[in-house]
Amino acid sequence: MNPQEANYIQERTNAILDVIMAYANLDFTQKTEITDKEDVFDAIASGVNMLGEELENSVITLQEREALLKEVHHRVKNNLQIISSLMNLQASYTKDEQFLALIRECRNRIISMSMIHEMLYRAKDLSKINVSDYIRTLTLSINSSFSGTNSNVVFKYDIDDVIYLEAERMIPIGLIINEAVSNSFKYAFPDCRGLIRIHFSASETHFCLRISDNGIGLPEETKTEEFESLGIQLIGTLSEQLSAELKILRENGLGYELLFRIEN
Amino acid sequence: MNIPDTAYNLTCYFTWMGDDGIARTKVKKGSEVKLEHAQENSVVVNGFYVDSKFPLLIDARGIKSMEREARTFFTTNGRNTNTLAFAIIIDSSVSKAVGNFFLAISKPVIPTRLFLNEDTALEWLQKFRNK
Repeated sequence: MNPQEANYIQERTNAILDVIMAYANLDFTQKTEITDKEDVFDAIASGVNMLGEELENSVITLQEREALLKEVHHRVKNNLQIISSLMNLQASYTKDEQFLALIRECRNRIISMSMIHEMLYRAKDLSKINVSDYIRTLTLSINSSFSGTNSNVVFKYDIDDVIYLEAERMIPIGLIINEAVSNSFKYAFPDCRGLIRIHFSASETHFCLRISDNGIGLPEETKTEEFESLGIQLIGTLSEQLSAELKILRENGLGYELLFRIEN
Repeated sequence: MNIPDTAYNLTCYFTWMGDDGIARTKVKKGSEVKLEHAQENSVVVNGFYVDSKFPLLIDARGIKSMEREARTFFTTNGRNTNTLAFAIIIDSSVSKAVGNFFLAISKPVIPTRLFLNEDTALEWLQKFRNK
């Protein structure tokens, strides 16, 4: 090979590589030159240019889909917040404690779902949520709805920071936590002081969610199957939705343990 | 491929209907085919027969490039035209690249094959005539 040929090969290769690198950085403004020689470099350049066009189109489509999905999550969150605000407004017309408590329970359920949509549209990955962030934010919100800013109920978290879950499973999990924690606030602490522990971990095959309090628990004579509150019924139904094995813990307070498969 | 005097002389193509009922279009050497060129050619091809369908022989030898919009137009346009099949003749590395890309990535909706010579391409198209 003479130096002129070597130089030609070097130049064409570099030019094509430059464009490939630009495409790798999602810069689709560049194109490789196709000469009239119709040699193998022109064929590669032609292929690279066409690949760049296809890639650009896919990236645009993907960006449009992401934007659309974000918009959907945003709107769902806004609509849920409107429902929550309407309930608040309705509650402001009454002093009936029982009605107010019902409104609060419903509002908390709605907020637990709206939070998921808010986290999804703010997240880079539109399909998954960090479990630890979500549980901490959710419990903070439940705490403030029951105690205002003067809470004597302490939360202790033992949550694996790197677990991410899709919205499909995060919504029932959020609702379960909401019911369990709300029940603790309502019944477990007559003196409004106590500890609520939340554990979320992953083994090789299963996730384990445990929510427990150190409150007064249930009377010994009450059988587990006799629980009738909507909250507990909901926990049962939502556990089934997760295909989870539900265990009720009755030592030093009341708690719930759910085991469900990592693979959805 | 001999271009008859009756052929339409378009921006990037010579296009005509053969006596055998097979339409032909030949890319001009060094053409960089864009959407408007694809549309221009399509208007001519669609004007050959209104009521019956026919196959199309495309001589892509000498093509320099074809932009994505043009590839997509040719691909999806097959649904709305009277074209029954595409036989594409290629030779150089560049026309091979364009042809293969069109076939594998753009995925035309009518039967399409690449050929290295005109005779075998015409032989293949014969079976699509008068359908």
